[in-house]
Amino acid sequence: MKSLWIFPGQGYQHANMLTHVDSSLLHYVENLLEIHLNDNVQDYLDYVKLQVSISLLQVDQVDKLIAKGFYPQLVAGHSLGIFAAAYACGSLDKENLFKLVKLRAQLMQNAYPYEYGMGIVTGLTLNQLEFLVSQVNHSSMPVYVSNQNTPDQIALSGKLTAIRKVLVLAKKSGASKTLVLKVPVPSHSPLMKPIAHSLCEKLDKINIRTPNCVYLINSSGYSTRKPEFIKKDLSESLIYPVYFNSMISIATDFKPDTIINFPPGSPFRKILSQQFSEQHQIYLDQHIFDDSLFLLNKWKRGLYK
Amino acid sequence: MTNKNHNWASQRDEKNLRMANATSIINNKFVRTENAKELLETLIQPNDRVVLEGDNQKQASFLSETLASVDCARIHDLHMIMSSVSRPEHLDIFENGIATKLDFSFAGPQSNRISKMISSGILKIGDIHTYLELYARLFVDLTPNVVLVAADKADKQGNLYTGYNTEETPVIIESAAFKNGIVIVQVSEIVDKLPRVDIPSDWVDIIIQSDKPYQLEPLFTRDPQNITELQILMGMMAIRGIYEKHHVQSVNHGIGFNTAAIELLLPTYGNQLGLKGKIVPYWEVNPTPTLIPAIENGWIKSIHSFGGEVGMEQYISARPDVFFVGKDGTMRSNRAYGQMAGQYALDMFVGSTLQIDKYGNSSTVTNGRLSGFGGAPNMGSNPTGRRHSSTAWQSLKPTDNPLAKGQKLVVQIVETYNSAKKPVFVEHLDAEKVQKEANLENVPIMIYSEDTTHIVTEEGIAYLYKTNSMTERQEAIEAIAGVTPLGLRSNAKKLNQLRNKGIVALPEDLKVNRLAAKRSLLAAKNMEDLVKWSKGLYNPPAKFRSWS
Amino acid sequence: MEKLYFKFTTTQPVTKFVHVGVVASGDLEIILRPNNHSYSTLNIITGSDGFKSTWSNVLSRFFDRYPLQGDFEINDFGATPGVVNLRLSQVMEVLKNEQ
Repeated sequence: MKSLWIFPGQGYQHANMLTHVDSSLLHYVENLLEIHLNDNVQDYLDYVKLQVSISLLQVDQVDKLIAKGFYPQLVAGHSLGIFAAAYACGSLDKENLFKLVKLRAQLMQNAYPYEYGMGIVTGLTLNQLEFLVSQVNHSSMPVYVSNQNTPDQIALSGKLTAIRKVLVLAKKSGASKTLVLKVPVPSHSPLMKPIAHSLCEKLDKINIRTPNCVYLINSSGYSTRKPEFIKKDLSESLIYPVYFNSMISIATDFKPDTIINFPPGSPFRKILSQQFSEQHQIYLDQHIFDDSLFLLNKWKRGLYK
Repeated sequence: MTNKNHNWASQRDEKNLRMANATSIINNKFVRTENAKELLETLIQPNDRVVLEGDNQKQASFLSETLASVDCARIHDLHMIMSSVSRPEHLDIFENGIATKLDFSFAGPQSNRISKMISSGILKIGDIHTYLELYARLFVDLTPNVVLVAADKADKQGNLYTGYNTEETPVIIESAAFKNGIVIVQVSEIVDKLPRVDIPSDWVDIIIQSDKPYQLEPLFTRDPQNITELQILMGMMAIRGIYEKHHVQSVNHGIGFNTAAIELLLPTYGNQLGLKGKIVPYWEVNPTPTLIPAIENGWIKSIHSFGGEVGMEQYISARPDVFFVGKDGTMRSNRAYGQMAGQYALDMFVGSTLQIDKYGNSSTVTNGRLSGFGGAPNMGSNPTGRRHSSTAWQSLKPTDNPLAKGQKLVVQIVETYNSAKKPVFVEHLDAEKVQKEANLENVPIMIYSEDTTHIVTEEGIAYLYKTNSMTERQEAIEAIAGVTPLGLRSNAKKLNQLRNKGIVALPEDLKVNRLAAKRSLLAAKNMEDLVKWSKGLYNPPAKFRSWS
Repeated sequence: MEKLYFKFTTTQPVTKFVHVGVVASGDLEIILRPNNHSYSTLNIITGSDGFKSTWSNVLSRFFDRYPLQGDFEINDFGATPGVVNLRLSQVMEVLKNEQ
């Protein structure tokens, strides 16, 4: 089995998503970080509890798969998902993962209390959107081209007034869909430099090990097996767009036969079904774990018949 | 004045020295599978030029995986020469610090990664070639120190059987065997007696049995189920407006559903038009299963192939009048000869592409993907060295020049918009941007405007060879470019002027009835039909079987 | 999903009901009914959003060449402009064959 493990970021969290998480792992995290996780809607309005819970959910699933003898050949995280990706490939240990995620969330929560966020444009090319952004972007109206999830769906990040201006221009230029995302932080833009700086200081004291498999890099869209590139991604990815579209294209060149999608949600279902129409795909949060395992074992046998 | 003691056999001495270093693991040419890594670390030296066989179908996968695992402290800065960069470990060789420079032809399956690796400086490109060019350079300025190739079987003396998938093995081995290079072959099996000898043991230095058979992909198999009515319409127009009009006798079809549609229309629509025996008896093409109905229906006299195709083995063996088959009953392919035939001996090339610009240049290189060329530019260009004549070739001769000669027909069939609803006709090719990103000397254009003689779209055919200025050529392209931004520059008046001059033809001008463009017109509608046509001799790979 | 409406001034009233194409992936069906106006109406339901201007271009070009007059109902499931044009031209050919 040659599998690609995909870890989404925030956006698809929901109450009770931690129900099946191993209780000793849950307690470990609560003690380590000195927080209490209630796994409810109120909790998920809090950045720290939200991000820690998502990582906890992903780490739990990684541990369970590895315990059953499944290992990734490729890992791809999206934004927050890179921490679980770095864990799954053996580069980042559990303790540092949760400490880093907590720090990152605290820094994000406090960075831009209001007026900033992200938007999304569908149906324009990168060149077209870059041109529109260049017409609006100004020191008092900062807006940047951000995450590129599919060839024709591109995010914007910056001040909300500036984002709204670009969205209007985009609609006039023929964009089929524009919207402001419910994200209160201008993630994946140069506005996050102070946060990246703090993360970098913390990561300098952490040992990032050589990964056991290929790690796909958020901030370049490329692949690596070198720990220094993973460390850079973990500390600096918030400054750069997530080149998810490119990461997935690169992943296709490695010819995985199975795609394992980690929870929560299935934000990339469309692009993944297009890019991997011939591969086995599984969304872990749509099955109970034993059923997922049954399918994975069945595919594993089928591949080596 | 040369020194009397000058050593004129220094390369041979060097080779002998390297071989001597490995004697402990070589037993009369044969090396044990588990010693593969040690063998490569002993025989290959830093800065060597190494050819790694990578065909469209056959891959020396055992040797490439082994090379990607060698110690980069011992082997580094290799200059790799590979016709096809298609497997992940082909690029791992660079990422792992074993090689730095690459000369290649085609990188379709690794096009995303290769383009990133070039821009981040991990890999330096020598040049991007057509297959024939790359083979040619093996005998001029890219003679290899070591070649790594694949064969089906070896006998105890070291003779090789390469069979259906001979492809580029002979040309690579020849470039090393007679210029002091080391020839290392992976074989799937070692037997007492070969079906036939494809490569004599004299040319081979090392044979190593692979842990599993080499990788083989059914790349040229197209399921008729996926052919659309639009492709059928374009196929009908091409048959009437090009194949019949120019009396085309010899042809190469590119890979794709447009040409598969034409192959499946010959025994139906072609017969209705009474064209059997009059057009395309001679082919240079891979043995694509969609040709089976035309062969069985008596359309085709001869097919020579670049390589084999999985599942076609038994069928080919049973049709030696049509295919090139050895005394042993298996086909022999040869990519170098195939490319030569495709360049010089054909009346026509018919292919498809991803983008065509306003001048008629086309490319399959799109943003972020450096796919290379493969063999299409050999087929899809006018060989100015051609001297023999044929009816089709003569039919393109300009009438106003007494010294003029004919021209090869180079046909592009495209739908005006691709399936993602992006225009195929564009102001500027993405290839222009890729040139800058990858720092290439030339824009990676697959087929140049000057070589393109016809473009077929669902709107009609543009006879570009008839235009007498670039302006007129552009107008002809615009007239068949539908509602793409380029197409909107045309109008009804311009279209009719071009129709009157015979530069553009619509389906009604060719007496092609759009309502007849139905899937029922295909000689085979699915894979099962192809098996029936082959009288059970064609054996489709599992992924193409929807029945059991 | 998007609903589009177009109106074109046309001069060749059709007298017959015509149905071509199918609602299948990458394809569309066109239903044409005669009307008594001096224009054609088109009610389009399409699965692909954001292609209004492309539809407008395909239709303008078609009615420019073949000013068929009637009420068109189009159900589109991701057809390319090329397929749309083919189906429209087939409507024209059906009518011509019956003449």
